[in-house]
Amino acid sequence: MSARQPRFNQHLLIDTTPLPDSIPKVQEVGSSSAPLLSASYFIGARCKAYNDDYMQCKTEANGKGEMDCLREGRKVTRCAGSVLEDVNKSCLDEFRKHWECLDNNNQQLWQCRKWERPLNSCVFEKLNLEKKIPGVPENETPVHLRKRQIFAHSIMTQ
Amino acid sequence: MGVPFEALLPYAVCIGMFGFSGAALSKIRAMQNGGKRARHSVDQWDRQMMDRDRRLTGFLRGQTDNVKAPAGFELSNPWRLERGYT
Repeated sequence: MSARQPRFNQHLLIDTTPLPDSIPKVQEVGSSSAPLLSASYFIGARCKAYNDDYMQCKTEANGKGEMDCLREGRKVTRCAGSVLEDVNKSCLDEFRKHWECLDNNNQQLWQCRKWERPLNSCVFEKLNLEKKIPGVPENETPVHLRKRQIFAHSIMTQ
Repeated sequence: MGVPFEALLPYAVCIGMFGFSGAALSKIRAMQNGGKRARHSVDQWDRQMMDRDRRLTGFLRGQTDNVKAPAGFELSNPWRLERGYT
């Protein structure tokens, strides 16, 4: 019988065996997609080293990264959790407004710059984390600092 | 001479009909999406994140900003299988 592509849409298996005790336990990050996107640049600012380590481990592991890179993954989870905890403690209102706006706008960052600017200034004052977009050419302002967002729906939310 | 409003009444009717159906469709979409606007151009990354949101909150469009995941979250990602043939 010739092989066909598998269609993994018929059955679900939930495996409830926990990890062995030799692996240290780390609480998973409990934020959903919009708060994570909102805090992503701050997580990147604080956790750049750990994230780069994890990505390098996964690229070099050649397919075995799921088991070999658990240690780097734990560091990434802990660091991201610490950033989210700090943002929740110090800038909760601006953070909530920003991710509620993102949730309403298809997770598009350029629709919600009006709520992003107070969040960026609050996080910079209290936590000293700055949002930087990597790879911006020297003579251009980064997109999040421009006055006019050319793709935003309305001028009120720019 | 005043504005000939009788001539503009059909335009008002057309605009009203379009507006009503647009508003009704938008309300139906908002009800389907938990009071938010619908998502469009959803790719595999967005589908994966929405599935994670459903595992975290119970709703496909639910959002939470807790730092720690609820207990059992690590184990709730299922293996997707196919029924086997013998």
